[in-house]
Amino acid sequence: MARPAPGGRLRAIQIAGGVVLLFLCAAPYLLGTYFRVFVTEMLIWGLFAMAFDIIYGYTGMLSFGQSTFFGAGAYAVGLTLVHAGSGVWLALGAALLVSLVLAAVIGYFAVKVSGHYFVIITVVFSLVFFRLTLQYKAVTGGDDGLSFQIPALNVGPLALSFYNPVVNYYFVFAVVLLSFLVCFLVMQSPWGRIFVSIRENEHRARLIGYNVERYKLLAFMLSGLFAGVAGALYALTFRYSNAALLHWTVSGQGVLWAIVGGAGTLVGPFLGTGLMVSFTDYIGFWFENYQILVGAVIILMVIVAPRGILGVLMGEGGKGGTSGGR
Amino acid sequence: MTPEAQFILFGLNGLVWGLIIALIALGLSLVFGLIEIINIAHGDLFMLGAVLAWYMIQWTGNFWVALAAAPLAVGLLGMLIERGVLRPIEHKPIITILATFGLSLIFQQSVLATFGGAPQRIEEPIGGLIPLVGTFYPVYRVFVAGCALVALAGLWLLLYKTRYGMWMRAVRQDREMAVALGIASDQVYMLTFGLGAALAALGGVLAAPVTSLEFQMGLDVLPTAFIVVIIGGLGSLQGTLVAAVLLGVLEGLANVFVTPTTARIFSLLFMAVVLLVRPQGIFGKRP
Repeated sequence: MARPAPGGRLRAIQIAGGVVLLFLCAAPYLLGTYFRVFVTEMLIWGLFAMAFDIIYGYTGMLSFGQSTFFGAGAYAVGLTLVHAGSGVWLALGAALLVSLVLAAVIGYFAVKVSGHYFVIITVVFSLVFFRLTLQYKAVTGGDDGLSFQIPALNVGPLALSFYNPVVNYYFVFAVVLLSFLVCFLVMQSPWGRIFVSIRENEHRARLIGYNVERYKLLAFMLSGLFAGVAGALYALTFRYSNAALLHWTVSGQGVLWAIVGGAGTLVGPFLGTGLMVSFTDYIGFWFENYQILVGAVIILMVIVAPRGILGVLMGEGGKGGTSGGR
Repeated sequence: MTPEAQFILFGLNGLVWGLIIALIALGLSLVFGLIEIINIAHGDLFMLGAVLAWYMIQWTGNFWVALAAAPLAVGLLGMLIERGVLRPIEHKPIITILATFGLSLIFQQSVLATFGGAPQRIEEPIGGLIPLVGTFYPVYRVFVAGCALVALAGLWLLLYKTRYGMWMRAVRQDREMAVALGIASDQVYMLTFGLGAALAALGGVLAAPVTSLEFQMGLDVLPTAFIVVIIGGLGSLQGTLVAAVLLGVLEGLANVFVTPTTARIFSLLFMAVVLLVRPQGIFGKRP
């Protein structure tokens, strides 16, 4: 959300963002194997958190159901590769299609209710699909999950192997960057403005004459689509998918990252994911039950800085901000 | 065992489980109805009740001490949570969901760190079997049902026959008016949250001997409690009770025919339909 911030701070944040972007462009050559995988994973989860932020930060609907689309994307890739024996492009297409259609169907029902009921119904739907995934173990592998081989990616005359970590990294980076740009354009467009108007005052948006349900559904589908893309990237990177990816607590992670980073922005979720994943990884080394600290951080964040780290950096960390106020 | 006997036993198990769920769901409903917040950690308060009972039994060897003390301890914890976490964020709905999500992580991981990841069991404090339809039924389960009913009756008395209950209902109906009339709404919030937590913990202690204890046992209970609260109708305590027993018995009977997972999928879908068609619940009044 473009909110006037003190010019110097905004400039500093932009410069920092540019430096991070340059670093990400060269990351595979700067980092060892461990951190290369680490950054790849961060990008994927960052995309997932950003996808969540479309529905929450921009449109004002708290969904705990985005893990369904993440799982759907991952399973679409896995199952297409296992059963259709086709290439990566087709698997990616399947992931896009499946997550979009699923988001359309679930969203069609979910946007009919709002407030607490919306939160609950998204949890209900995600539990239904989680249980179904467990139930049809023969297809999905259930708890044990599904492992698969990734064939070479054909780009023109090149055949790129995902088993090459550099290729894997740049593919993930390119897709995440592209998704980010698409979301950026959408949020600058009238659609994005209407999403924000629904968040700020749904009643007024309706009175102005917008079909609020239609735009909510649109936001839900966009969010589901990019969550599905993140899931597909996860499947391509780890060559694995399991039922646990669909559990609503995975959505909870996305919710957490987006809000810690700064909801209502596209950069915030990436920032939140990067910091939280690094934080948990770091303290995970010496403290087995680091999730206790994660819980404490969440509580501290919502009390001290409900607008997230980006909000604090922009000098809007105080209470009573729009996103934090709901 | 004859099919009829199996049917009756599964139905009875469902009934007992439904009454336990009713306790947990009523705790949720009290809080949801009064403060309008979704408490993601409610399932973990149930878990804490059970785990604390396990510890107390290790120390004292006495289930009855645990039955009294664990809900009390968790109730106090609930009051602390309201005071220390929820009040500073002024019970803002979405922020509260996140805060309770954080609490849920803290509770689960603390239990994992101390209690361990391996499931534990508590022995049934009352042994013995009652002969029933050509087979036997554990006395303890009958006791659980009775205990839950007594607690529910106590809750009803508290809400409708005491001054505190009247305050609670008043704050719930119209907070500003209640405050204007001199009701200390802050205290009512704190006590209500504590009461809700204690009910969840009581459910946990009662359920402990008939299930296995582990740090994630609340994860499954939370959606069930929500299903019951929604189907029964928000704020309708009778509705919550009826819905809990109905859901318990139906899922219990369904276990005769289909897998528990399938039964759960059907109740989830049923809840989705209720949410869409009749969001005020089957027994609730129009808001």
